[in-house]
Amino acid sequence: MKPAAFEYHRPDTLDEALALLAARAGEAKPLAGGQSLIPAMNFRLARPGVLVDLNRLAELAYVRPAEGGLRIGAMTRQRVVERSSAVQGAAPLLAEALPFVAHPQIRNRGTVGGSLAHADPAAELPAVMVALAARFEARSRSGSRTIPAAEFFTGLFGTALAPDELLVEIALPPLPARSATAFLEVARRHGDYALVGVAAVVTLDERGRCREARITLLSVGGGPVLAAEAARVLAGQTPSEDVVRAAAEAAATRDADPPSDIHASAGYRRHLAAVLTRRALVRAFERAGHVA
Amino acid sequence: MIVEGTFTFQGPRETVWELLQNPDVLVKVLPGAKRLVRAGEDRFDGVMQVGVGPVTAAEFTVSVMLKDKVPPQYYAMEVDSKGTLGFTRGSARVALEVLADGGTLMKYTAELQVGGKIAGVGQRLLDQVAKLMTRQGLEALNKELRARLAGGSSR
Repeated sequence: MKPAAFEYHRPDTLDEALALLAARAGEAKPLAGGQSLIPAMNFRLARPGVLVDLNRLAELAYVRPAEGGLRIGAMTRQRVVERSSAVQGAAPLLAEALPFVAHPQIRNRGTVGGSLAHADPAAELPAVMVALAARFEARSRSGSRTIPAAEFFTGLFGTALAPDELLVEIALPPLPARSATAFLEVARRHGDYALVGVAAVVTLDERGRCREARITLLSVGGGPVLAAEAARVLAGQTPSEDVVRAAAEAAATRDADPPSDIHASAGYRRHLAAVLTRRALVRAFERAGHVA
Repeated sequence: MIVEGTFTFQGPRETVWELLQNPDVLVKVLPGAKRLVRAGEDRFDGVMQVGVGPVTAAEFTVSVMLKDKVPPQYYAMEVDSKGTLGFTRGSARVALEVLADGGTLMKYTAELQVGGKIAGVGQRLLDQVAKLMTRQGLEALNKELRARLAGGSSR
């Protein structure tokens, strides 16, 4: 349980970190909270030649209200985000999902940006960010660019980040009027990787019909899965029990392509996806003021 | 672990069959394949370098035995691979069907046993990694097929 030898750098500023990543692109691995990378290194599954420790970059740890939404620095600890009143007000979905992320000890150290850049298919934060239509700022020595969350995740542990780029900020737009959210997941024990999880964001129109639904599933594919078929079922409909059930069915059978493993079969995951999507939608529509 | 699925190749069955039996083609299309040589009439030996996400690419030695061949429609394989991170053993069955539009439908089923460190630590991801690598390999093979039919090699 000891890592292979590696070179260690602990820059004090973002510019220094970006210079290191540029100089050692391909070899260097950024270290955020280390809650996934360090165990992988200790098992010698991961053998990065160079670690660039981001933990001194205080400039990347913040939660700021901005344009009705939020801006979150990538090195903000998950626990800080979970307990932030600004997050509870502007992005209740994020606050609701965070207690499902592993255990408090892990969230004390784990960062928001670290979890997103790691892109584990069972992770909660990627699914939440796609549901909220977050925008990620990636920076490298040669400049900065904005990547929509839905384009950031490219498959199993894959992201749109180049080897010399760092995820520096997550921008959450404000929720439209008459919107509400809900997050649910099932794990074998609390804190385990989810067998299936669902994040739902729904918006009603003036007449109480569903204007838009952004539903994402986790642990049912290579990355967060945006349930486009389920959204199509809901669009323009009054969210009755039948409509919600049909949408949940579409999410489970047409949007999700779940894996089988020793913890759960693909069939059981599909069942969970249907049940959790239905419950999450019911909860979100109720919170949005719809009375069934 | 069972990996099964179908894949449609945009080319005739005979050509697909030929490519699937050619180690020089397979080494180009299999994800992470570094070397693959014919070690007997129906046996290939090779080295693959496989890494996913945070896992640094690690080498595996691989041997594949082809069995029960019915050209150009069916064959079975015995696969055996080992490396410092673990091992894979198992068998696979591959059937090729002619499609009306001139394409070829592949149906595959593999039963694999994965052990060692990768299985202990990465159990929950094995299925997805296997799916991902299968899809990458088949898509690359289809690309090679189309390049050949167009009169060249893709690389």
